[in-house]
Amino acid sequence: MNKKSNSLVQRITLLPYSVWATLFILVPLAFVAYYAFTDSDFNFTMDNVMRFFTATSMVDDGETVREVHTYLLIFGRSLKLAVISTAICLVMGYPLAYIMARSKDRTQKIMVTLIMIPMWMNFLIRTYAWMTILQDTGILNGILGMLGLGKLSIIGTEAAVVIGMVYDYFPYMVVPIYSVMAKMDVRLLEAARDLGCPGISVLRRVVWPLSLPGVISGITMVLIPSVSTFYISQKLGNGKFYLIGDAIEGQYVANNLHFAAAIAFILMVILLVCMALMRKLANRKLIVA
Amino acid sequence: MKKFSKIYTALIMLFLFAPILILLVFSFNEGKSLSVFSGFSLNWYVELFKDAETLGAVRNTLVLAFSASIISTIMGTAAAVGINKLRNKYLRATMDTVTNIPMINPDIITGISLMLMFVFVGRLFGAATSLSFVTMLIAHITFCLPYVILQVLPKLQQMDKALPEAAMDLGCTPLRAFFKVELPEILPGIVTGMIMAFTLSLDDFVISYFTSGNGFQTLPIRIYNMTKKTVTPKMYALATIIFFVILALLIISNIIESSDEATAKPTKERKKASRHSKIIAGSLGGILVAGMLGVLIFNSGKTQVLNVYNWGEYISDGSEDSLDTIKAFEEYCFENYGMKVKVNYSTFASNEDMFAKLSSGAVSFDVVIPSDYMIARMRDNDMLLPLDFSNIPNYQYINENFHGLYYDPDDLYTVPYTYGIIGVMYNANVVDEADVGSWDLLWNEKYKGDILQFNNSRDAFGTAMYKLGLDVNDPDHAVWDRALEELKEQYPLVKSYVMDEIFNMMESGEAAAAAYYAGDYFTIMDNQAENVDLRFYYPEPTNYFVDAMCIPSCCQNKELAEIFINFMLSPEPAIANAEYIYYACPNSLVYENEGYIEDMGEEAMEILYPELGNFKELYNHYAYRSLSEETLNYVTSLWETLKIN
Repeated sequence: MNKKSNSLVQRITLLPYSVWATLFILVPLAFVAYYAFTDSDFNFTMDNVMRFFTATSMVDDGETVREVHTYLLIFGRSLKLAVISTAICLVMGYPLAYIMARSKDRTQKIMVTLIMIPMWMNFLIRTYAWMTILQDTGILNGILGMLGLGKLSIIGTEAAVVIGMVYDYFPYMVVPIYSVMAKMDVRLLEAARDLGCPGISVLRRVVWPLSLPGVISGITMVLIPSVSTFYISQKLGNGKFYLIGDAIEGQYVANNLHFAAAIAFILMVILLVCMALMRKLANRKLIVA
Repeated sequence: MKKFSKIYTALIMLFLFAPILILLVFSFNEGKSLSVFSGFSLNWYVELFKDAETLGAVRNTLVLAFSASIISTIMGTAAAVGINKLRNKYLRATMDTVTNIPMINPDIITGISLMLMFVFVGRLFGAATSLSFVTMLIAHITFCLPYVILQVLPKLQQMDKALPEAAMDLGCTPLRAFFKVELPEILPGIVTGMIMAFTLSLDDFVISYFTSGNGFQTLPIRIYNMTKKTVTPKMYALATIIFFVILALLIISNIIESSDEATAKPTKERKKASRHSKIIAGSLGGILVAGMLGVLIFNSGKTQVLNVYNWGEYISDGSEDSLDTIKAFEEYCFENYGMKVKVNYSTFASNEDMFAKLSSGAVSFDVVIPSDYMIARMRDNDMLLPLDFSNIPNYQYINENFHGLYYDPDDLYTVPYTYGIIGVMYNANVVDEADVGSWDLLWNEKYKGDILQFNNSRDAFGTAMYKLGLDVNDPDHAVWDRALEELKEQYPLVKSYVMDEIFNMMESGEAAAAAYYAGDYFTIMDNQAENVDLRFYYPEPTNYFVDAMCIPSCCQNKELAEIFINFMLSPEPAIANAEYIYYACPNSLVYENEGYIEDMGEEAMEILYPELGNFKELYNHYAYRSLSEETLNYVTSLWETLKIN
């Protein structure tokens, strides 16, 4: 009787979500693939996908003119900026998560909220505020000027785009790491110390491996949005950083839905493979540690 | 160590809250600028509450976020319960993978994939509009679901499985056991999941951008489309209010919690906590239902709906004591025709953006206001309906020069709204008078790093082609290649490729020279910083453009659309719009109106309305025309080449 009702409950609870996930997660992805491999008359073609890998353009860096693969170059740049941003988020966020997890319950709660608050301000408005801070006649240079420290030229550089990405996605790094660390058994750390393990080693050999699942989901949640952003690069990069997200949006606006879908499809495949590899690597590391 | 952690935390908080501090300070700016603080004022808060469109967008954003978070919380919780009970290993792994997809897929892909499907299915069933509030809601629920599931699932796993079984052994039905035993256990997870879903939905721009349709635009989309006039401190005022509301809510909930902790015995703590979660969930639900009812009541009755699609910030909207055109039209309809009309006003960021949405067949608008070359393209694609001019008697006030222009030679489809000329503005404190007068200023090595260029391919290529004396409508690839060379040469000199960012950059003196639409020069000049002295000139040759009202073939209410167009030509709204937008107006009721001439001032009248005598000739010669798909694709790829330099 119990078992029967159990499976009934299971069916009732799972059914809506299964239908939903099929219709609105899986089928749309199939549409991306369908558009990527068809032309505007919906006949099969490899052209869109091939164009991503073969399109070239001439780049002039002042001295030499070279031929480059347009979209591979754009993708490479996006990946580079995203990896840098993710690394900075990790380096900045990890100690913070550790500090949070070790503070009083009350403080922990307040800090989590403080980290989340900027997300309630609109993402576009936040980016606008960074423009005000970073531009040459902006707040930062105003402060530096008052202190007699000269001027920095940040806006329009890679640094500005990275700052924007780090700022927007920082909470996505801290919160997962913190929630894993908060659950960590303090006795394990004490035991390690009691057994004569020096502080740094406790961090390296106990805390770090235990926090790895949080680190991985943090990296995923920062890397993915930063690799595909198109607003931050437009506003903080002075329109000079054309990233893969800009390419997709640009092709969508130019009404090339099929090529936009092809870029999206390739990006998706690459990211899925990367994520799978990373998880595998992390799992192995976990076992070794 | 303790000290170090404190300093470290403080530094990070400084980083997180610096931009918010900026928002807060500039929301009290007297001037319009986001970078030059000219004095304290509460003006922008007053403006905000007068701006019905923005408040409507806020309401839309909240309705969407509440609906999406509540539906995804209910469905996600049920799903988590089901997944937790799954014993089949493969089924379980499949569910986990599917749940993970929206989280590890970039939002741009989630957005595009849903858009492609909605558009395709909409076409299949011949629906007039396939993108609407519902599609946006579906999209938001979809990306919120995994976050709810991943918050609830661990709580279910931590729970003692014997508990619900014990309840059932004692005679509880499974349903009762769930609500009495399991639900309180997992409630913290559910609440966290719901808050996360709400936050994500509130902040989402990318997915909404691809799935938004008729009339239902959220705040992020409205902000993104503000390309004609840029973001004003009004938006900062809005952000500041949101900030303080959240802060107040958090403080209140903290106070309640701590007073609870003080009084409650440890055993009761969980019960109390769950009661609070219940109160929170209950009040959220209440607000949602009220909001939905509000929307329903609002749209019920014999109200006719008019869907208008216009550039962002391209209509007098009631700010700074101007006329609220949309509201005035609704009143006009009621007074003159006894009709209850609701205008759904949506905005786009560029002609191309508008065309992409409209040609997808997923939206339906009654009036659109694109530029000439896009009108020509729409006409070529049979996307326009001929107007019934007997419904538009005010058309007689349109200047002769605007009859029979190339995009509508027989005056069948369009009524001109604004027109203008692209000119060059420069900061006279930086730029030598000797260097001004032609396009060469934008290629002058002396001003390296001080020059702005358009961030849209058509206008950017245009500047290079006018400079070189090339035909901007030439289908020959070699001509475009030549223009690209010129743009590449300019690239190292360009500080930034801009659209609406030009307002802040020129106002603050961040850049010294830029080509832009004449009308915007005056908006910028009104807000220039003290150490900036802006001037303006027309290089030869240059671009002439006309933006016109027309009725797309997806129109659902043509007569009302024509009444709207006619209304827009009548004196009060036409003058209000011309004064608000600052662009030249082809309507004689406007440019001959003494009050208007006085308000604009001598310089503006001179620059905006250069002798109209040979306008038609110049226009038909130098205006952008519709390019073939093939040429457009080629230009897009050249534009990408420039941008990766």
